[in-house]
Amino acid sequence: MTENETASSIRGDRDLANAQDIIVCEGVSKWFGDFQALNNVSATIKEQEVVVVLGPSGSGKSTWIRCINRLEQHQEGRIMVDGVELSNDLRNIEKVRSEVGMVFQMFNLFPHLTVRDNISLAPIWVRKKPRAEAEEQASSLLERVGIPEQADKFPGQLSGGQQQRVAIARALAMEPKIMLFDEPTSALDPEMIKEVLDVMKELALSGMTMMVVTHEMGFAKEVADKIMFMEGGQIVEIGTPEHFFTNPTEERTKLFLSQIL
Amino acid sequence: MNLKKSSSPNQIKTPSSIEPPNSQLPPKVAALSSTEWLKANLFSNTFNSILTILSTAAILLIIRGLLSFIFNPLRQWSATATNMRLLMTQAYPEHQYARIWVSLGFLLFLTGVSLAFWRAARSVLISQVGKRLLAIGAFILLVTLLAPFSDRATIIWLAIGVFIAGTGFLLKSAQEDKTISSMTLLSGTFLLAILSLWVIPYGHHSYISTRTPKILAEPGTVAMTTKLPWTIMLAVTICSYFLGSLIRDKIDESKGKALLSMTWLISPLFLLFLVLRDPDFDTGHLFSTDIPIFLFFSIVGSLLLLWLTNPDIGEKGRVISTAVLFVGFATFLFQMLMIVRILTLVLAFFALAAPTFSGQKPARIRYTKVWIGTMVILCWLITAINTPSTAKVPGDFFIGGFAITLMIFFFTMVLAFPLGVLLALARTSKFPIFRMVSTTFIEFIRGVPLITILIFFSVMVPLFLPDGMDLTEIAAVTIAFIIFEAAYLAENVRGGLQSVTRGQHEAAEAVGMTNAQKTFFIVLPQALRVAIPPMVGQIIATFKETGLLAIIGIFDFLYIARSVIPGQTEYMGSTRENLLFVSLVYLVICFAMSKASQRVEKRVGLGER
Repeated sequence: MTENETASSIRGDRDLANAQDIIVCEGVSKWFGDFQALNNVSATIKEQEVVVVLGPSGSGKSTWIRCINRLEQHQEGRIMVDGVELSNDLRNIEKVRSEVGMVFQMFNLFPHLTVRDNISLAPIWVRKKPRAEAEEQASSLLERVGIPEQADKFPGQLSGGQQQRVAIARALAMEPKIMLFDEPTSALDPEMIKEVLDVMKELALSGMTMMVVTHEMGFAKEVADKIMFMEGGQIVEIGTPEHFFTNPTEERTKLFLSQIL
Repeated sequence: MNLKKSSSPNQIKTPSSIEPPNSQLPPKVAALSSTEWLKANLFSNTFNSILTILSTAAILLIIRGLLSFIFNPLRQWSATATNMRLLMTQAYPEHQYARIWVSLGFLLFLTGVSLAFWRAARSVLISQVGKRLLAIGAFILLVTLLAPFSDRATIIWLAIGVFIAGTGFLLKSAQEDKTISSMTLLSGTFLLAILSLWVIPYGHHSYISTRTPKILAEPGTVAMTTKLPWTIMLAVTICSYFLGSLIRDKIDESKGKALLSMTWLISPLFLLFLVLRDPDFDTGHLFSTDIPIFLFFSIVGSLLLLWLTNPDIGEKGRVISTAVLFVGFATFLFQMLMIVRILTLVLAFFALAAPTFSGQKPARIRYTKVWIGTMVILCWLITAINTPSTAKVPGDFFIGGFAITLMIFFFTMVLAFPLGVLLALARTSKFPIFRMVSTTFIEFIRGVPLITILIFFSVMVPLFLPDGMDLTEIAAVTIAFIIFEAAYLAENVRGGLQSVTRGQHEAAEAVGMTNAQKTFFIVLPQALRVAIPPMVGQIIATFKETGLLAIIGIFDFLYIARSVIPGQTEYMGSTRENLLFVSLVYLVICFAMSKASQRVEKRVGLGER
């Protein structure tokens, strides 16, 4: 419990009440063929907030998070990211994507590039940074995620946990305002989950706006400012971790919690 | 809960206690003795024994038949030997033959340096070499006994076979860990072969047009014009290998490799159009037209590209580059030099690609340098091709034979590859018009036999050309080869493109890459790596398909062997000898290519997943 308290005390320094809204979703709906994956999802995420999205599989968590940097297109409603509305305009999408970092379940590192090139490629060609500066940044990011010695290896030579940490470093290299995590620990062996979660905790404490889809209840309890519970493509309940885990209002939330805890 | 916790450490421990410690090697499997090996592999049951006996008999019969064909006194092997120059380069003037050797020497120099840079040398166990020599010696003995040699020849060959097998036997029992570099072996083999040219009396033929038998066999070793250049070639290759290994350790290796690859791509063009063709440059025209055009395009183009690679240029840049493209197309409506049209189109291509490679100052300057380099090469080549040659050769092209086979093969591969990649990208693109055009093109080309396309291009296309445009037959059939191979390569590349997972696309998109950047940096490198094995197969097939040139009457390697040499009064009816030689050359080259490709596949597989 002590760890928990220190975390919340550090996080307590931030003035979330007066923070700007950075992601706004209004009535977002999406269909895959006839199947409705998202049903009128509305939510607001503030700057520096850490939001954990929970829910049974197939509830639309991943689809929603992927709509936020338009890897999936929503068909109804509005999504505003940092004041830019996502539409079919390519320039808007590229602008949003360079400010929103994403970490995938399957890492999706570029297998033909070394770890250093994986991290510095986008800063060089998208952010137009000089190569030397981008590589220096890559080294310091690898230091931050705890694997500075792996810079010249290829992704295939790393363990799953190390690969996911490189993926986090790759996303951070674009200096994003928001980080999206799509089940970052689901493809990992149990002993590697902790090393990735530790990096994510450190990131949360540094004041990054984060939206995390996960099944790690410990992480949700400890780090989240807000928990959103989804089922059947809808947000069923939004609340603080204390409220969510100890005193949920909705029947479906109680059922979900009783199955996992 | 408690149970689980107490059992989990046990679960972790058990495997480590069962597994042997890391240092222990797997147990050695005892080698089978030769009789056991025979029994296990050739005579394991009745059916296999019958098969073994039948196939051995068939192989022996084939070898015997082939040998009695080759060593039949009726065979005119001198037809191939005396016409070697014709086979290789057709009627290239004799007094300019040094140009051929210089070109070959340069290519061999590049080969030597590249072998060193790509570390082609492997260490081979000496005992392994011994085994191989023993097998070769035994094979020579077997062949000698089967061949219809004279007694003297039989004794000489038997001696050679015994000598090789004996050397092999001695080396076989060499210490287990002694190795030798494969490069030493290779150069040793070539050294012996070249040495034999100086020592062994192969004999040669003299040609004097005033004498009654114009061609007369002379005793002694081969002619000086053969053995001297080849000795120099071998020396060049070996020296350049050592030079390469020296340079390799001094400079940045990846830069050296990039430079070498560029040289490999460009040097055949220069060797062909500057060294071999030896254009007779007209200084007046050069200074009044060619150099001003080059300067204009390099300076104006550089300024334009420096401006376009500015990351903040935005929409204005796209409008300007599209305008350049339209100007490029518009040049075809007016009377002007072809070089201006081509350069304008190339500039438009560079301008359109500029946003993909935009960046800070060093990146912009690098892009401009690439543009100037392209200009130097293009202007130089186009000027050279438009200048008359000093090599006065009958027919409409200055070189033929094996050289033209190689030349068309080279141009086909270098140009069909980018075209094939573009077709594959178009076929997988989101734009329906690209997809439709590319699919139609690929399916149409793949549905028509190559020989039809070749005949169409050599006969019909020159008739359809507009006034003032001229296409030599060689250029026309090269284009035919290019579009045919591009369609097949496109399908190979498409397979590679489809093997790149959706996750890779998403990861590239998620960091904000544009479509072009995603394709160039992420998708293509992975797709091409997957496509290497089928593409190598396609390349080898292309090399063999150049033989079809003989059918449409181009003086290529095969045509000279099949029609030209048997037409000479001295060598009537020597077709079979020549064809056997030609097929041996094709066999050696294709075998070498497929061996090399196997090593390339192994190398690029490293660090893949």
